[in-house]
Amino acid sequence: MSEGRSAIGNRKSEIGHVTVEAVAWVTQFVGGDGTRRKLFQEAVAPGATVRSVLQQVSDRFPKLDEALWQRPGGALAEHIEVLVNDAVLGIGHDLDSPVQPGDRITLIGQYTGG
Amino acid sequence: MLRDTIIKPLAIGVKEPEGDRHLPGGYAGRILRVDLTSGRIWSNPWSPEEMRTYLGGAALGAKILWNEVPAEVGWDHPENRLILATGPLAGLPVWGTGGLSVVTRGAMTNGATSTQANGFFGACLKYSGYDAIVIQGEASRWVYLYIHDEMVEIQDASHLMGKDTWETQDVLHAHHGLSGHQMSVYSIGPAGENLVRFAAIAGDYGHVASKNGCGAVMGKKRLKAVAIVRGTKALRAADPRGLFQAADEIAHDLKTNPTAKSLYEYGTLWGVLTLHGQGALPIKNYTTNLPPEGADMSVWEAPSLRKGFDHRGHQCNACGMHHCHMQVIPTGPHRGELVDEPEYEGWAGAGWAIGCTDPVAVSWLNTQVDRACVDVNEFGWLVGWVMECQEKGYLTPGQVGLTLRWGDAESAAKLLHLINYRQGFGNLLAEGVKRAAETVGGPAAACAIYTGKGASPRGHDHRARWEEMLDTATSSTGTLETGPPVHPTEFGLPARISPFDPDAVARNVGKFLGRRHFEDSLGACIFTTRTLMENICRALSAATGWAYTKEEGMLLGRRTAALLRAFDLRSGLGPELERPSPRYGSVPVDGPAKGQSVEPHWERMLDVWYAMVGYDRKTGRPRPETLKVLGLEDLIPALWETESRQRQG
Repeated sequence: MSEGRSAIGNRKSEIGHVTVEAVAWVTQFVGGDGTRRKLFQEAVAPGATVRSVLQQVSDRFPKLDEALWQRPGGALAEHIEVLVNDAVLGIGHDLDSPVQPGDRITLIGQYTGG
Repeated sequence: MLRDTIIKPLAIGVKEPEGDRHLPGGYAGRILRVDLTSGRIWSNPWSPEEMRTYLGGAALGAKILWNEVPAEVGWDHPENRLILATGPLAGLPVWGTGGLSVVTRGAMTNGATSTQANGFFGACLKYSGYDAIVIQGEASRWVYLYIHDEMVEIQDASHLMGKDTWETQDVLHAHHGLSGHQMSVYSIGPAGENLVRFAAIAGDYGHVASKNGCGAVMGKKRLKAVAIVRGTKALRAADPRGLFQAADEIAHDLKTNPTAKSLYEYGTLWGVLTLHGQGALPIKNYTTNLPPEGADMSVWEAPSLRKGFDHRGHQCNACGMHHCHMQVIPTGPHRGELVDEPEYEGWAGAGWAIGCTDPVAVSWLNTQVDRACVDVNEFGWLVGWVMECQEKGYLTPGQVGLTLRWGDAESAAKLLHLINYRQGFGNLLAEGVKRAAETVGGPAAACAIYTGKGASPRGHDHRARWEEMLDTATSSTGTLETGPPVHPTEFGLPARISPFDPDAVARNVGKFLGRRHFEDSLGACIFTTRTLMENICRALSAATGWAYTKEEGMLLGRRTAALLRAFDLRSGLGPELERPSPRYGSVPVDGPAKGQSVEPHWERMLDVWYAMVGYDRKTGRPRPETLKVLGLEDLIPALWETESRQRQG
């Protein structure tokens, strides 16, 4: 497990951190070997959303950017499942839901096999 | 010893000369016919026009099933057909092209079945000069079918009785002096011999056509095995260079696409961890979505699972995926035994669904299930149901003949034996969990996982995958009919949707109906067709010489779905059965999908799905205008005119 910490431009507006967790297969998109987890503490400002936090991380990792987002359009692509606080996106949050300090966003590889 | 025994064939057939008929590339051109009642063996040519309309595999099987198995012919009737069909890509140098589709009226639903397996059967069949085998009748004694090029023989199988599917293949390899990939054998084990309703047909050590009791159909015909020597017939691609290019593009896509790459490297091994993260790993018969306290889920990462065993690749025909493997049990009472690396559904059905979280125990149990020829999905729902019922006091150890506790693989294997031989309580369990639960009744009935039609859900917790629940409940194949969308943007659908948005879920399932049927008509594996439809169609075009488009592929798939639906409706399986059982459609009490209830949305999802697929919501029938688009005008009288006449009368 490794950890990273991001900074945002205007630290005065920072309200706290959201944890972004890449799990197993997805870690290969953020510099890992495809196993275990990699955690990132993402600084967030007021108005931050699930989308903006994910964008913040994917801006730093081109492979994640390619796998996570649909281009063009900016919707989530089909490859990675996103959970917020252990709940699948679509229950308590969607992509444009605001996040709170202490929230955890988890990225899990999509699975379509039998 | 067996090689010294000369067994006189009970019947022999010789293939008629092909003549100079011009065939599309990729086709052998003939359909082998076997009547086990009379011992007659013959073959029929089929035309290039029929090939273009029905391709092979699932589509060809659906057409034959509709034409030849009327409503009064139940799954156990001698006139039921057991169709083993491959497709135009089988045997060609495209990854995963040993494919076989089994189409029949199945024992679980008494409706249509389309279920697939891989290995080498499809390639061997094509090299022997056939695109499909259609088996009818019922032998007076146990037999096996032996095919070696022109010669097709019905052989006595008395020496194979009681043997499991691996032992059967071992004995037939030894008897015929062949080994490895020289001869493909698909057979039934004791569960099929004893007509266990969820018996499968298994072959080539670890490949299983598992759905809807196709193994029970084979058992009822007293057909123990079909053994095909890798034939010597040439198989021509219309454009060999184009085929190589298309095959390379498919391989490149599988190796680089972020989702497909995990399949390329590890097959379905990532399933446990990823589905757990999504709330879609079925744990202890849907009673929870959380692993045991303190469980180290990292052992379920694909590399860890594979590292835990001495393993070797066990690839199918022409396949470059690192998917199928054989492995050795490293520890415990079965140390040293050779097993097949479980697919995800094995880890689920022989593992998590019954509370067993020891990879070694699951791996061993999964192979016992395969060797017995039992569908591991139904096995998981059945054993999980018994375990839960014992825990809650709805079933006693005295009733069952065993004490079964969550996670106890050894006791589960003992229960498997009772089921295989229909001994004691195993006789009731051999009917499947729906019938067993309905017979036991009371609170036990509410714990069982099944669909209204009687099919077994796949080994996911569909309460977190509503698409698959809707798909399974409406299916006319005895299993998932559409499957999760592959590259949905290729068809103008969003790349992803909320799994709990009823309209989006139903639109996705409806829009994608047909793709899986198309894949299952090619003679190829669904994991190697996990690429753009355009890529598949490019390979199909190069193989056959046709200019085949993805639109034509989807039309083919929808034609197949409509035929299977018409067959089910004619068999009395109507839309009133398109519901999950109470437990299957229940609300997850914990985990990532906690609190999500499909029930309030079910009717709405059906409304949307029916509108998308062009079927009548009330009767379930494909609408006449839908049938016309699909080129199935000839079904309109059978489906619609009786009612029209009744109204007029």
